Amino acid sequence: MTKTLGQSTQYRDRQTLLVAAVVAVQAVAAVFFVADALGDFAADGMTAHIAIEAVIAFALLAGVFIGAAHVRRLLAEARRREEALAVAKGALADHITARFADWGLTAAESDVALFALKGCDAAEIAALRGAAQGTVRAQLSQVYTKAGVTSQAGLVSLFLDDLL
Amino acid sequence: MTNAITKPRRWDPIVKLTHWGVVTAVIANAIFTEEGSGWHIWAGYGLAGLLALRLLWGLIGPAEARFTAFPPSPGRAAAHVGEIRRGDLVHRRSHNPLGALMAYAIWATLLVIVASGIAMSGPPPADPAAVKGEQSEEQAAKSDLPSFVLQTLIPPARADEDEGEEAGERAGENESDEWLEEVHEIAVNLLYVLIALHLAGVVFETRRSGREVVGSMIPGGNRRT
Repeated sequence: MTKTLGQSTQYRDRQTLLVAAVVAVQAVAAVFFVADALGDFAADGMTAHIAIEAVIAFALLAGVFIGAAHVRRLLAEARRREEALAVAKGALADHITARFADWGLTAAESDVALFALKGCDAAEIAALRGAAQGTVRAQLSQVYTKAGVTSQAGLVSLFLDDLL
Repeated sequence: MTNAITKPRRWDPIVKLTHWGVVTAVIANAIFTEEGSGWHIWAGYGLAGLLALRLLWGLIGPAEARFTAFPPSPGRAAAHVGEIRRGDLVHRRSHNPLGALMAYAIWATLLVIVASGIAMSGPPPADPAAVKGEQSEEQAAKSDLPSFVLQTLIPPARADEDEGEEAGERAGENESDEWLEEVHEIAVNLLYVLIALHLAGVVFETRRSGREVVGSMIPGGNRRT
């Protein structure tokens, strides 16, 4: 889950960068164009050629403003998503702690249960906690009993159910 | 879990692009292009476009890129010096007050450089390679040739303008151009001083509060993890 979220964030960052780069090139081009049109105007006065140049210069300038506004929207959206995700993560963490407390899990059982929620099996949890596998298995079955489920999948689906 | 307050600072892509674009233009015109040459003028116009975009971004960009996030305030700067003395680290989403003063100083200097440059050069030449710089003019002048010979030796700025007009312009512009050139050069030297101070500030702040200052401006720096 973390991986795909990170990937989509990166994709959006790249898209924002692309739009921003186009806006930067447009800004440079607009300055060139306006300066060139003004120079032509000073040299030759008003001609049809300059009228067309003026329209193009205006279009470029408008493009810069609209592009900049678009970049700003993209950035604001990314920030909103990030904040919403942080809130959701925080809320889920709070919720998990509260449920563990409801079930009367001990500190060690809470740790084991959290690893189980993250998808670790008994051997991995034992390695992470530096405990014997038998101990972890016993703690896991205590957790399942207190939560009223029979398996790790059951434990996970309890929280998934809360979210859906 | 990332907290909104302690999240590392990252400048948005417009800030980064304009910053590094201006850096490129300044380096190009300081080292690689000949003073007054067509390429010098083009790089200057490019810089002007990027500067204009950054200033526009200061009005309509996201909160931390806006001028309102870092007002030029000597009072705040003095308070910030106090923070540094006491060793307090305050996390900011935008420039710190000293950095803000530096940003405004650099922008103002760049505006003077761009304005004096445009006043001297006029509109960007159609073919940048056709306009020769000051050095080749000086080299030609040293040869003690009369001015009408120089006129034929130095290709006129715009091929479509007739020579008489060109020569008249050159004679008339000499005096007014002299002080513009003076302004341009003084401002450029001031810019070099400001750049040195800016880099010193970045080194100082990095030693004081970590790599976040640098990471916020480089591509892909201070990634959310």
